Amino acid sequence: MHRVVITGMGAVTPLGHTAAATWNALREGRSAIGPITTLPRDALRFGIAAEVRDFDPLRHFDEKRLILLDRVSQLALVAAREAIAQSGIDFARDGLGDNTAVVIGTGIGGENTNDEASRRMYGENNPRLHPLTIVRLMANAPACQVSIEHRLHGPAFATVSACASSNHAIAQAFHMVRSGVADAAVTGGTEACLTLGAVRAWEAMRVLADDTCRPFCKQRRGLVLGEGAAVFVLETLERAQERGAMILAELAGAGMSADAGDIVFPSEAGAAMAMRRALAEGGLAPDAIDYINAHGTGTPANDPTESRAIRRTFGTHADAIAVSSTKSMHGHALGAAGAIELVATIGALCDGVIPPTANFLDPDPECDLDYVPNTAREKPVRAALSNSFAFGGLNAVLALRRAP
Amino acid sequence: MSSVQDTIFDIIAKESGIDRAKITPDATLKDLEIQSLDAVQILFEIEDHFKITMPDRDPNFDTESVKGLIETVEKLVAEQAAKPTAA
Repeated sequence: MHRVVITGMGAVTPLGHTAAATWNALREGRSAIGPITTLPRDALRFGIAAEVRDFDPLRHFDEKRLILLDRVSQLALVAAREAIAQSGIDFARDGLGDNTAVVIGTGIGGENTNDEASRRMYGENNPRLHPLTIVRLMANAPACQVSIEHRLHGPAFATVSACASSNHAIAQAFHMVRSGVADAAVTGGTEACLTLGAVRAWEAMRVLADDTCRPFCKQRRGLVLGEGAAVFVLETLERAQERGAMILAELAGAGMSADAGDIVFPSEAGAAMAMRRALAEGGLAPDAIDYINAHGTGTPANDPTESRAIRRTFGTHADAIAVSSTKSMHGHALGAAGAIELVATIGALCDGVIPPTANFLDPDPECDLDYVPNTAREKPVRAALSNSFAFGGLNAVLALRRAP
Repeated sequence: MSSVQDTIFDIIAKESGIDRAKITPDATLKDLEIQSLDAVQILFEIEDHFKITMPDRDPNFDTESVKGLIETVEKLVAEQAAKPTAA
C-alpha cells in the first residue's frame, strides 16, 4: 500500500474563485449567503443561497468549447486547472497520464441544462431540444471533461451519492492510488443546482432556512443551498517527494457506511461507523484528531445526531476536538460539499487555523461540542476528519494528516 | 365536521397510513407518531388540494396540530376567495 498525499487544490466557490481566496474567506469567518440573484425571488419562499457570483465562463472557455459545458462542468474544469497547476505535476512525463484516474462527484449533474430543456419543451411547447443536451447534463460530464482536457487515461467516472458525492469520489480516487490501481488521481466534486425547479423542490421538503445557515446553535432553522466545485491532485508520497512537490496534506483514510434505515433521517450509528472506519484505515488513534469539519447542515435533525456520533466515536476526547461547519459560510453545495470542505480541512492542517462556525447565536443543549463559534481560532492540527452524510443514509468520511 | 376538516382528516389518514378514527383536532402530528417525511407530504397534499401555500415555520400559524392545520387552511382559503379576481 502506498501513502497518498494531496499536492494541488483548486476551487470555485461562493467565497472566491480560487482555493486560496476561498480559504482566506473561511479563516476570516466571512459568509457568502445572501439573496438569490439569478432566480425570480417572488417565485421562491425564502430566496437565499450561497451563489458563485461573477463567474464569467468566457474568461475560461471559448464559445465552441462552452457549448459542450453545463455550469457544473465549467466549475469543475476551472477548479481542476488550478489544482493541477498548483501541484506542478506533468501528466505527459513518463506516461503518468496513461494511468491517472479522474473521479468527480456530483449530486445532480447538469441541472441547468435539464432545466433549460424542460423550459423549452413544457414552457414554450418547443419540441426541438439542443443536440448537446445529453452530453451537457450527464452526471459523468465533469469527470469526462477533466479527463479529456488533461489527457488522463486512467479510470474516470462520477460518483453520485447526494451530499456525500464528493467524499465518495475522493475515497474512490484515494483507494485507487493507495493500492496502485492508478498512479495518480484528479478528484473532487462539483454542483450547480440553483435552478428554480431544484430550489422549489428543496423548499417543498421544508428543510431550508429562511434567515441564514446557523449550524449547531439553538436558533438554527435549516440548510441554505450553495454551489461550486473543488478539485485535488492525489499522488503517492514517493512520487511527490521524488519530484520535490509541495505536499499540502496526507490523505490517510476514508470510511464509508450506509445506514440502511431511513431515507432522510440521519443515524448516529451509521455516521459513527464511517468515522471509525476512516480512523482505522488511516492508522489514526482517536486522540490524534484535533479538528473535524462537520457535515453540520444546520437542520434540526443533522446537528444533534452528528454531535452524538462524534461523542460515540471519540468518547471523552470529543471535548478536546474543534468541530466546525463551514456550510455556515459557503452554504450546502450538495455533491460539491465534501470537496469544498476539504479545502477548509487542508487549510486548517497547513495553517493551524480552525475555520469557524459562522452565524452562531446561542448554544443548543443537544449539541454539546466545541463548535468554534463565529471567529477562527489558532490551534495546531495534527490530523483531522471531514464528514459528509447524505440523504439515503450514506456516510463518507475522510481522514487527513498534516504533510509529512 | 367542516368540509375542510373532513378533507384534512382524509389526507392525514392516507399519507401517514394511520387509522382515521385516531385523528382528533387536538392531536399534533407528533402525537399521532407521524414521521417528518410523511408530515411534509401531508402539507403538500393540503396545498395541492386547496391550491394554497402553507406557511413554513411561521410563528403566527400553528401547523403542528390538526386543529392548527384546519384553521390555517380555512384562513388561507378565505383570503384566496376574498382576492379580487381579474376581470
